[in-house]
Amino acid sequence: MGSNVKTPKLGTRMMPYLAILRHDMRTLQASRLVRLWLGATALLTLLLTGSNWANFQDGTLIASLLFPYLVFPWFLVVVVLGVTPVSGAQTETLADGILSRPVSRLEYLLATWSARVVLVLGVYLVVTVPAIVLIMLAKRPVPADTVTIYGIATSLGVVGLVLTFLVSLGFLAGTVLQKPLLAVVVLIFIWYPIGLILSIFSLEEFSPISLNRAISTQLRQSWRQSDEAKGKTKPEDAYAFTDQMSNFFNVLSGTQSEPKAAKPDFFEGQKFDDFSLLRVTLGYGLPTLASVFLAALSFYWRDL
Amino acid sequence: MELAIKTERLTKIYGQRLIAINDMNLEVPCGSVFGLLGPNGAGKTTTVRLLLGLQRPTAGRAMVFDKPCGPNAVGVRSQIGYLPTNPKLPGNLRPIEYLDLLGKLCRLPGEVRKPRISALIRAVGLLGATDQRIRTFSTGMCTRLGIAASLVADPPLLLWDEPTAGLDPSARRFTLDLIRELGKTKTVVVATHILSDIDQICDHLGVMHEGRMIFTGSMQDMKQRLCQHDFSLELEGAPDDVQALAQKVTALKGIDAHTDADHALLVRIADDYSRPAALAEVLKLIDASNLALKAIHSGQNATENAYLQLLQEDEAHGFQR
Repeated sequence: MGSNVKTPKLGTRMMPYLAILRHDMRTLQASRLVRLWLGATALLTLLLTGSNWANFQDGTLIASLLFPYLVFPWFLVVVVLGVTPVSGAQTETLADGILSRPVSRLEYLLATWSARVVLVLGVYLVVTVPAIVLIMLAKRPVPADTVTIYGIATSLGVVGLVLTFLVSLGFLAGTVLQKPLLAVVVLIFIWYPIGLILSIFSLEEFSPISLNRAISTQLRQSWRQSDEAKGKTKPEDAYAFTDQMSNFFNVLSGTQSEPKAAKPDFFEGQKFDDFSLLRVTLGYGLPTLASVFLAALSFYWRDL
Repeated sequence: MELAIKTERLTKIYGQRLIAINDMNLEVPCGSVFGLLGPNGAGKTTTVRLLLGLQRPTAGRAMVFDKPCGPNAVGVRSQIGYLPTNPKLPGNLRPIEYLDLLGKLCRLPGEVRKPRISALIRAVGLLGATDQRIRTFSTGMCTRLGIAASLVADPPLLLWDEPTAGLDPSARRFTLDLIRELGKTKTVVVATHILSDIDQICDHLGVMHEGRMIFTGSMQDMKQRLCQHDFSLELEGAPDDVQALAQKVTALKGIDAHTDADHALLVRIADDYSRPAALAEVLKLIDASNLALKAIHSGQNATENAYLQLLQEDEAHGFQR
């Protein structure tokens, strides 16, 4: 029984996680859904780039390429990918094959979640990065723009974070609702009117459409501007985040919110200058972590 | 007695509606080949899944080698080799890839994993199918691969759920022989409703009925429980004549007889009386009657009879329980 051969402790401990991750990535890569998505997203990116080649400036064109990931239609694919490993007939297969082995449910959940996040981000970056490089390097018959590398990296990061959040939300819905179709339908009904839902909590800033519009501004942000801001805590950033959080909980609890000193003028002037990377990172990062945590909790308590 | 499995008042109720396991106490001795016997829906698979931590008990507890079972009981699962009924395997993998994945899940280093996988593939007779994807496998091949999968980590306890389901006679023979062989070094629990399998391979058994364990003990205990009819005589003739014959036979010393629903004569001979002599007396009475003897059955199917008798008793004592 077992073995006396010594292997590195961390390597041995991580072995099941890495094995499931690799297996899941491989299965996903071979799936029709992912192959079709890769083809469709590449085609759409090509079409968007080609049709706006001579019309849009760099920032606007790049923002238009990111629109399908943030708003429609790719969120649907991302959500489906998130839902599938923990719901429906799949659970039976994984119970027979994986969870009856010496693997904890958390290990399984984290491995499949990581596999999906890596795959989704992989498809998204494989398609968008070459298109962005082409847009930046090519000489196009449009006025020069002030898009920066920093702006591109942070914008890609924001969209990546939203996609990670969607995968996590899919995981949560899949574990709680257990029926994949039901979970997808529920998420569609949540994600479509998300702008409206967020506006109830005065969190319009985080709606995908707002983010997409703000990305044009963010793309033109320079590292220097951000560097200058570093070290100095922006009081308005912290204030706005605290205000958003308290408003969110006030709406949830039904208590009346205190009168605000100043309303964030996020939508005013269509400039989106007060787009805060920190707030967006927290606004999507914390719910992502919460979703994974709740999915793990729900999966732990569930019968297979 | 060292126990491989112990459950105490184990209960599983699904959604406050269905009682799958009802206050079950089970003890499986180490080194035994234990048959978990019961009709479909008796709760055998649920018991196995509770031991694996795939499901949580509603009440009570289950222990494997003195360790509590549960969803995160990785240590318990590392001691168990599980074979599900008609295992659902990842169709896109080849057998070696699948076993390699499972070996990694069991944290086996490459230098142990690789030779063991080759040995298992050879042992279960899948050497000729190593380049095929699992989705092309027949039921028998899937079961063979499932068997290999349950043995990858070389665990001391095997939980095999309906291992012979859907197998052709040669595959079934192979599986039963393998269980017999594995039983020499490991504790094997076979959940099944096929009596002949239990009869051939098990030394201990537990009989489940409607979520309850209605009998646990050795095979010998089980057979001794049988209210054994030493002979069953199939007769041709009027039912009244059969009844009259039964009365005459009962009048003989050391012999008890009665008729069943098919008007067969069930003869039971007391322990201290000679069976051949008693049978000769009964045959003489038949010869003198208006009845024709069609067949004589001896109590060969002891396990089946004992099992059916247990189920009947359990049904009859429904209210008491």
